[in-house]
Amino acid sequence: MTGKLRERIAISGVGCSRFGDLLETPELKGTSIQELTARAVKEALDDAGLTGQDVDAVFAGNAMVHSSQVPGTYSQLSKWTGTQFKAGVHFEAQCSTTNVGAALAAMAVAAGVYDTVLVYGLETTRTKVKDFSPYEREPVSHQQTWLWTDMAVNQAYGVPQGYDIFSTYNGLVALGYCRKYGMSIEDFDRSMFELCKTRRLHGSMNPKANIQEKLEDRAKREGFSDPFDYWRSDEHNPFVAWPSRLLSLVTTADGASAMVITRADLAKGGKSPPVELKGFGISYSDLPWYGEDPTYWEFDRRAIDTAFEMAGIKPADIDYLHTHDCSHISGICTAEATGYLEPGEGLNAARDGRLRFDGDRPMSTHGGRHAFGHAWGASAGTDTYEAVLQMRGQAGPRQIKKQPEISVIHTHGYAMIGTVVVLGSI
Amino acid sequence: MSTVSEQPSAIRSYYEGLSEGVFRAITCKVCGGYTFPPTGCCETCGSWDVIPVELSGDATLLLASHNISPACHPRFEKIAPYVYGHIRLKEGPIVQAIILGVDPTPQALKALFECGPVPLKAETLQMDDLPVLAYRIVS
Repeated sequence: MTGKLRERIAISGVGCSRFGDLLETPELKGTSIQELTARAVKEALDDAGLTGQDVDAVFAGNAMVHSSQVPGTYSQLSKWTGTQFKAGVHFEAQCSTTNVGAALAAMAVAAGVYDTVLVYGLETTRTKVKDFSPYEREPVSHQQTWLWTDMAVNQAYGVPQGYDIFSTYNGLVALGYCRKYGMSIEDFDRSMFELCKTRRLHGSMNPKANIQEKLEDRAKREGFSDPFDYWRSDEHNPFVAWPSRLLSLVTTADGASAMVITRADLAKGGKSPPVELKGFGISYSDLPWYGEDPTYWEFDRRAIDTAFEMAGIKPADIDYLHTHDCSHISGICTAEATGYLEPGEGLNAARDGRLRFDGDRPMSTHGGRHAFGHAWGASAGTDTYEAVLQMRGQAGPRQIKKQPEISVIHTHGYAMIGTVVVLGSI
Repeated sequence: MSTVSEQPSAIRSYYEGLSEGVFRAITCKVCGGYTFPPTGCCETCGSWDVIPVELSGDATLLLASHNISPACHPRFEKIAPYVYGHIRLKEGPIVQAIILGVDPTPQALKALFECGPVPLKAETLQMDDLPVLAYRIVS
């Protein structure tokens, strides 16, 4: 295995829909999944200065077909995206889908098969098709969402015997972190509060985020003068997997994202400068995702090392980082694994505000999985979207002061495919 | 009535074993590693040269958290919230499973966390439609 791209690869266009609920959210209410996806695709193609007929192939990602009900996505969406008669495939890597798509596209372009590939992802985790209607939708229950989502988890032995994402991905990792670094449960809780404040601050500055209300404002609205009292309220923020609370977790969303992958020398004529896709790493594992130490995940280690080697970067080169943060504590462990944060210091960095857009270790400035929201197969593309905006200086009020030159995006595709993408300024 | 004979299934065999209080795994003749629950191939080295074994059921609880109610899966609605643990088996593998013998409350879980690792013994938890693996804290 050479682990190298034979051509320089660029992302010449990115697009992303508002994340939220197709039944309730302003800008989304009443939108069909076809139109939702088309919005993200149009933004990406416009950004690249192309039409759907200018691309050679389309990689269409969608993980939870139970709610979207658009398998054969490439053809079903082709007349909504202007991509008729292109090469195409429907694929999924769960919550890493769009960034695995970017890696597949990069390989196809670097191999000389295609010049330009459109990658998009769509997902509806809050709503599903109502009966047999072509346009009406209805809410998905919490239990139904997890039944469908957990179909990506060990169906022979894990799920049938009581596997539970909340304890496996949150509570047990949190306890492992506290034990390893000698952190008290009280300090852990305070750190999680501060981290959530940061994510919600970022969401409040992002018009596409699922939750755009700061944690402090929500606490005040609920009658709390001290937001930490709101945080510790069993009514508003219960333990879902002790010692992890509800507001340290993902929020579900409907949404879509898209990107245009092309040869770097062809990435001209777009609205904005292209960004180089310098490297990627992918590694997967079945349960259990970690050994005796819940803070160390071997497949993430391999994905990080592979991506950094391909891109020729070191941890000190990272200017902006997103790690998959369905579980805030898991995201911190991965950030430490990349070397962006010191081992055992991630939560202290969160408490000190260093992970904010205006801190010295900015992370997840779109709001992450909690505030920006999570639409499984579309979300990795939103992480890349945010990184590209930051690298172009287009992130508005949440813009990092020193425009990042190297960005690293890590995602966990359930369950689990660790995926790391390295972007660089051209 | 069908005359077609049924093929052996590692999954069916595992759950049939549980119903009899037997904990089935495989070991690898090449690297000696255990794969539990069993598949047809070694999870460590990828060899297909494996043999079935029965585990002792002895284990150590490393960490324990709990889940939510209603449970993510309808099978466990009756017992949710329940305690879910990170476990090291006497034979070496790390597994996660339902823990019996401690309440799913922050107070009880914190006391258990402060105790450090504690011994466990495997048992079968009979749900309405399936026997499942659980571990009970040895007092």
